[in-house]
Amino acid sequence: MEELIDLRRFGLTEAELFAPVSVDQTMSEHIDAPVYSYWGSVFRVFFRKKLNLVLLLLLAAILVFTYVYPAVIGYDSTVDPYVNLLDPGAKHLRPDQAIAKFGPGLKWILGTGASGQSTFDAVWYGAGISLSLALVCALINLTIGVAVGTVWGFSEKIDRFMTEVYNVVANVPYILLISVIVLILSASFWSMVFALTVTGWIGIAYFIRTQVLVIRNREYNLASRCLGTPLWRIAVKNILPFMTSVIVTLAAAEIPSYISYEVFLSFIGMGLEDQSLGKLIETSQNAMLTPGWELEFWSPVAVASIITVVLYVVGQNLGDASDPRTHL
Amino acid sequence: MAGYLLGRVLRGLLSVLIVVAVVMVLIYSCLDRNLIFANDPVFTKQKSNAQEVYKMQQWEYYGYVDFVPYGDYLVQLGLAQSVYDQAVKLGDKPAQDSTVAADYIRRFTAQYEAEGYTVVRLTGKKKGNTANYLDGGEPRLYAYRDVPLILRLRDYLTGILRVDNIHAVKEDVGERGLTFTWFDPVYGGEKFSPAIMGNGTRHKYLLYFDDQFPFLHQNFLTISLGRSYSVNQGVDVFDTMTDKQGSRAMSMVTYPSGNREYSADDLHSAVHVAGSYAGGDAVIKRNFVDDYTGVTTRKTGFSKLGYSFVIGILSVALAYALAVPMGIFMARRKDRLADRLGTVYIVFIMAVPSLAYIFLFKALGGWAGLPTSFDMENPTRIMYVLPVISLALPSAANLMKWLRRYMIDQMHAEYVRFARGCGLREGLIFRAHVLKNAAIPMVHGIPAAVLGALVGAILTERVYVVPGAGNLLTGAINSYDNGVIVGVTLFYAVISVTSVILGDVLISAVDPRISFGRKGR
Repeated sequence: MEELIDLRRFGLTEAELFAPVSVDQTMSEHIDAPVYSYWGSVFRVFFRKKLNLVLLLLLAAILVFTYVYPAVIGYDSTVDPYVNLLDPGAKHLRPDQAIAKFGPGLKWILGTGASGQSTFDAVWYGAGISLSLALVCALINLTIGVAVGTVWGFSEKIDRFMTEVYNVVANVPYILLISVIVLILSASFWSMVFALTVTGWIGIAYFIRTQVLVIRNREYNLASRCLGTPLWRIAVKNILPFMTSVIVTLAAAEIPSYISYEVFLSFIGMGLEDQSLGKLIETSQNAMLTPGWELEFWSPVAVASIITVVLYVVGQNLGDASDPRTHL
Repeated sequence: MAGYLLGRVLRGLLSVLIVVAVVMVLIYSCLDRNLIFANDPVFTKQKSNAQEVYKMQQWEYYGYVDFVPYGDYLVQLGLAQSVYDQAVKLGDKPAQDSTVAADYIRRFTAQYEAEGYTVVRLTGKKKGNTANYLDGGEPRLYAYRDVPLILRLRDYLTGILRVDNIHAVKEDVGERGLTFTWFDPVYGGEKFSPAIMGNGTRHKYLLYFDDQFPFLHQNFLTISLGRSYSVNQGVDVFDTMTDKQGSRAMSMVTYPSGNREYSADDLHSAVHVAGSYAGGDAVIKRNFVDDYTGVTTRKTGFSKLGYSFVIGILSVALAYALAVPMGIFMARRKDRLADRLGTVYIVFIMAVPSLAYIFLFKALGGWAGLPTSFDMENPTRIMYVLPVISLALPSAANLMKWLRRYMIDQMHAEYVRFARGCGLREGLIFRAHVLKNAAIPMVHGIPAAVLGALVGAILTERVYVVPGAGNLLTGAINSYDNGVIVGVTLFYAVISVTSVILGDVLISAVDPRISFGRKGR
């Protein structure tokens, strides 16, 4: 048989090439498995889809425009929308007209609005407010919802009480409650947060409670309980990890829904006083049917739609990826 | 089953009660009560002291306060005319009162302060140094007390259902009683149309037929949900929702006096208005014979609820008609092109703000030449198209999502494998077995969808200018009309409780495995 490699070309002696190895008995006791890291696997699965990379880049771009761009240009919501108020020739310009008038720049690529302001700047500043509102509300609701939902699922006494509470609260039309609270407080950012979170968490808690009920009585938890594991440890170590994907998926649906709520409330005249996306849509809705003015209306609508779709799809895919069953 | 349902209904009623109480607490105690005057033209016309008194009168009318003007107190004492004339005359300042007046004022103050009222004296405001008062600047004296919320709630709840009876009218109306006739006098007294009429009742007609859906109408039991302040001043919320809108519908009517005329008066709606015949003008004298003169006019359009319901029910039907075949198709072609496209559509609807796609539908519809706004004066069938589509497409997405999910879950069930093993064709397995099982959870949502149509879709109705019920709540909130807010809340809450219970009943009727009886549990 022909040798695959000619060992003689290394110019080493036989003793140097081969050394005896003693048999290590302890190694046979060692159990080895491929290294598994949960979050490592999550991202491996997540980036397996190329679409996710594109969406993530898009999300990064959105975040840059909503938070970095207004800061970089020094957007001041009390000054910038009105700088061209006294110039009648600056109002309702199409992008080409605006660029012809003010010179080329990112600022004018969407034209100008009713008071001669840059639509592009206004849209991104508004997106910042709407997105912040959504993120804050989602954070509060998910934190309270998951915490309460877990306890709710575990304790039978609390279950009976909370189910009654839920039955009452779920009957309150959400729009009604939000509107009444905004009416009573002011239409400020934090009163809106309060309105959206005061009962918003209970739906999430109910959902989590149902999930906990399903998982709580699985065999491995039964075994844990038989072994005398304390309840909180079962909750934190056995059940919460199981629900990571559920929570991520939930968050993915929640954040866009708060943006939608904000847009909706502003449109019906119960939203923020700030120039959020909803407020922009509300003030420019008459521009929709005016030839040449359409961009004023469709820009905030499009930006709101892009943000919500990107967040939703990224979140859903991240939720899928964080389900350990997809890690094989 | 019956016992369980009764429990559900009672708990539902309790939660409706709590919801209404919470909303009442929120708007009556947390909200500045001066806000209700924001859109009241009468209020802005009033000046100085008169404005304060007007405020009190309105607050009393809308149940905020108990308000006792000094004059009413004196009248109720039943004083002799000369004493009354002296007592009622207030000085500009307390020091300028006559001794008689000062005495009665002291008694008035002592009596009402002891009862927990706040007594307010507004000094007269004169024009400069002249003897003439400013507009509405006369001195005033009154006492008021806030109505506790629990009393408001009790009065509100007990006032919801009103049963008409022959002692409802306090005034003398002659012989009280109900009469039955086979020939309704409104139609000239010759056409066969049974009716029950009353004398002494609030409504003249208690049971009658006409050509409007549902053809047989009754007035024995009337619902009132609270009086509107600015949305539809003085009118009850329930009437605001159910009264016909649009232009007057003229027809030949026979008035009680026998006079026949082309008119839009709906004589079936006649209610007793005290003293209206004696104090009425020539038209009333010509047409009526008694005090049952409070008639509404017949209109050609639907009511607010009517429009919402027509649009809602059509869109529910369209949504199910679209979603069921689409959902089945997507489940059968799982992970193929049709499924992918459907999923993209579902994600679009789920994620994008509803406002965005409603406007998108409006723009596309307008571009295709469909009417984009509602015109009550010239109703056409085609103007319903866009609102119906705008409501149906999003809810179809939601239904599709769930139907697909349930069907895919069912496809892995043992019985499907067994059926396949027995050699049944795929099409038959899908239609006869999988669909049946997957449809069970879908059935639960049908009552909610149908009843939800009554509530109306706030955005769609706003965007297409539909005169439906959806905008009542937002309109009320924008104009601080608290009566309407509470009324609409009650309506919404009842609808949502009812639809959940009906959904459970329906699902247990469809699926024999689900039972609310004790045995099944």
